[in-house]
Amino acid sequence: MPQGDYIELHRKRHGYRLDHFERKRKKEAREVHKRSAYAQKALGIKGKMFAKKRYAEKALMKKTLAMHDESSSRRKVDDKVQDGAIPAYLLDRDTTTRAKILSNSIKQKRKEKAGKWEVPLPKVRPVAEDEMFRVIRTGKRKTKQWKRMVTKVTFVGPGFTRKPPKYERFIRPTGLRFTKANVTHPELKCTFNLEIIGLKKNPNGPMYTSLGVVTKGTIIEVNVSELGLVTPAGKVVWGKYAQVTNDPENDGCINAVLLV
Amino acid sequence: MVQYNFKKTTVVPSGKDFIDIILSRTQRQTPTVVHKGYAISRLREFYMRKVKFTQQNFHEKLSAIIDDFPRLDDIHPFYGDLLRLLYDKDHYKLALGQVNTARNIIGKIAKDYVRLLKYGDSLYRCKSLKVAALGRMCTVIKGISTSLAYLEQVRQHMARLPSIDPNTRTLLICGYPNVGKSSFVNKITRADVDVQPYAFTTKSLFVGHTDYKYLRYQVIDTPGILDRPIEERNIIEMCSITALAHIKAAVLFFLDLSGSCGYSIEQQAALFHSIKRLFMNKPLVIVCNKIDLQPLEGLSEEDMKLVMDMKAEAIKSVIAQGGDSNDEGVLLTMSTMTDEGVIAVKNAACERLLNQRVEIKMKSKKINDVLNRFHVAIPKPRDTKERPPCIPPAILEARAKANVETEKRKLEKDLEEENGGAGVYSASLKKHYILDDEEWKEDIMPEILDGHNVYDFIDPDILQRLEELEREEGFRLETEADDDFEMDGKELTEEEQALLAEIRRKKKLLIQEHRIKKSTAESRPIVPRKFDKDNKYTTERMGRELSALGMNPTSAINRVRSRSISRRGRKRERSLGREGEAMDIDNDQSNKKLRAMSRSRSASRSRSKSRPPGEVTPGEGFKDSTQKQKAIKIAKKSVKVRNKNARKGEADRVIPNLKPKHLFSGKRSIGKTSRR
Repeated sequence: MPQGDYIELHRKRHGYRLDHFERKRKKEAREVHKRSAYAQKALGIKGKMFAKKRYAEKALMKKTLAMHDESSSRRKVDDKVQDGAIPAYLLDRDTTTRAKILSNSIKQKRKEKAGKWEVPLPKVRPVAEDEMFRVIRTGKRKTKQWKRMVTKVTFVGPGFTRKPPKYERFIRPTGLRFTKANVTHPELKCTFNLEIIGLKKNPNGPMYTSLGVVTKGTIIEVNVSELGLVTPAGKVVWGKYAQVTNDPENDGCINAVLLV
Repeated sequence: MVQYNFKKTTVVPSGKDFIDIILSRTQRQTPTVVHKGYAISRLREFYMRKVKFTQQNFHEKLSAIIDDFPRLDDIHPFYGDLLRLLYDKDHYKLALGQVNTARNIIGKIAKDYVRLLKYGDSLYRCKSLKVAALGRMCTVIKGISTSLAYLEQVRQHMARLPSIDPNTRTLLICGYPNVGKSSFVNKITRADVDVQPYAFTTKSLFVGHTDYKYLRYQVIDTPGILDRPIEERNIIEMCSITALAHIKAAVLFFLDLSGSCGYSIEQQAALFHSIKRLFMNKPLVIVCNKIDLQPLEGLSEEDMKLVMDMKAEAIKSVIAQGGDSNDEGVLLTMSTMTDEGVIAVKNAACERLLNQRVEIKMKSKKINDVLNRFHVAIPKPRDTKERPPCIPPAILEARAKANVETEKRKLEKDLEEENGGAGVYSASLKKHYILDDEEWKEDIMPEILDGHNVYDFIDPDILQRLEELEREEGFRLETEADDDFEMDGKELTEEEQALLAEIRRKKKLLIQEHRIKKSTAESRPIVPRKFDKDNKYTTERMGRELSALGMNPTSAINRVRSRSISRRGRKRERSLGREGEAMDIDNDQSNKKLRAMSRSRSASRSRSKSRPPGEVTPGEGFKDSTQKQKAIKIAKKSVKVRNKNARKGEADRVIPNLKPKHLFSGKRSIGKTSRR
């Protein structure tokens, strides 16, 4: 026992206080009342936080109790019919499963073909032009209104240079330019921070695609060389498509799902 | 000098608490009210402030943690090694490093989101960005929560480390386990180290303090060391090694000659030789403990040789330091069991340590700064003439006298002893009085009370007088007893007897009545006297009662009757009569005054014209006086029964609700006294 542990030392020498366990028991017994008093008193965010915590605790407790009960409680045993079980009157027949397999494989193929264009977010909310752009007034008297600033997150390639101001109709502010996206692999259930290679399609229109505006539902191409994916032929895949699943301008990051 | 106090390190909250603390602080200390209609710059500012504020708080808290924990390379090497040993250097550094990275990451997040907020174009977007920023900061903290938990544990352990000052005068006690190190520390300090008869009772460093030559010495008790290579040593042993290696102290190497610790002298000698490098440049004392079991002289030859080898080794180190080669205080024997030689060991160790420290200080460069400050001048003798100090003869005389006159004064205490001790002897308070004449001391003093001499009021034959008086009194009592007086109605006349009986009867009646009244108390209804026939004030009743009391009621009744208005005649006549009298008396009243009087009278006459109750006035709604009288009669009749029973009626004063709820609830702030 180290020198500083004076409480332990005292206990070792003189034992616990005579009423120690009584006090402890009472304190524990009072605990529920105290908690309830707090639960009734706490307002606003504190109250919400407390309620959430209590709920989680109670749910966990119930689960544990149920788990303990499982060994003793009686329940119905459902006899599962095995796959491929046949009634007695069909036992003498030949099973023809081959045709089935064939049709299945055709279906699979069709599905794959169709699945090429199937994306996790099939529909998105259309974004109006005045939401996408802000009008910038130019000219000495600020009377000209042909300039637009993109208010959404954009992607521009690494070698991008702005046009001279006189000809630049759409301004893509540097503060809203992103180069990386958090891409989730749906099968691996893992998320990687990958570099964006380019924009494949923005569902709101070809103009946004060419401008490089990233909104929800946009298909982007990401650099997956880190993941080490390989094609059936054995080549290393380095670019893959992913669909953006969040509103990047609201969250400050681009989240996407890899299309596999 | 750096003080090593790890108790002041602030508490490291757990990851969850950390987040709660920061977020609630953001909520409390930044503005909370915002509306959609605000200018967009104001909205952006509002949320930017929140993000920046949160980041600042995180930064402050994390910096506090990083600064509070000691950097192992910066503190004294003893502490550095000890902490490295106890808390695993890599883990410690990693944890602090993670806190540092978290701080940087949070800073970067805040910067990014503030930049994004500049492009926010709606309240919703700004708010979303703020939520995202705070969320990401919290996630970072959640990631380092294990490190925080580890740091908190380290902090708690560190706060309980014994406060060892590595630079002060120190005695360091080392040796094999179970050789009596802790017992020795318990003997010379108040450290209260646990002593048990098994090895490795002491598992960490213990500190105690002792005094020698008015100086404070720190005594460090170390866990036992086994003789094995350093890589195999466990943490407990390494504590001792660390202390030995880094603390400049007098080392006391303990030997158990009896071998009752379970290790032979040979093994102990081997340990001594393996760690002797750690004793370099330190005063070393070899202490042979437990001589009550096995005295040094009774050792076998081989063992004796081993001990002497060690001693030689120790002396060598003394000589290497430039000390003289006398062997006192190098090998000492003692027994903590019998206290034999314990103090000698302590003194020897302290003495040698002190000498060494003084020597080092003398050798150091700084000593010149101190030394040249004081200078004792001793003049050179210029001739052979003796020049002794000059002392005046008066002082010499006084000194001689002082030596002689040390006879003891006789104290009151001695007197008490001579005259029979405490309780028998009573000291005389008068003998120290300062008076003109010595003889007056024993005189009796007059007692003065309220300015009079008490003695003047003392009658010497008062007892005699009292006796006389008592005799007289007794005589009188005797005579009185003879003619006893009794009152039993025999002496009363017939008339008087009747009266007495009457008085007694009346008294009884009154008592009875009072008791009835008292027994029913307040429960009975009180009928107003006006309707109470028995208690009604009437002249007959007054007459009856007065005559019952034996008085003549006629004059009283007449007086009451004379007041009745009908007998006194009309007002005008009465006033006329009075006026006539006044006129007769005050004939010389001025005309003016008279006129004023008459005028006022005429005015009052016109005012005091009252109507009889039955007369109809226009607007009352009655046809004629008969109808009105009838109505009055009916009205009176309707309340007659109720009045008789003294019931509450509609004309009575009513407070419908004595304590209206609305006046007794809620606060009574300004202007809310009568209405809430």
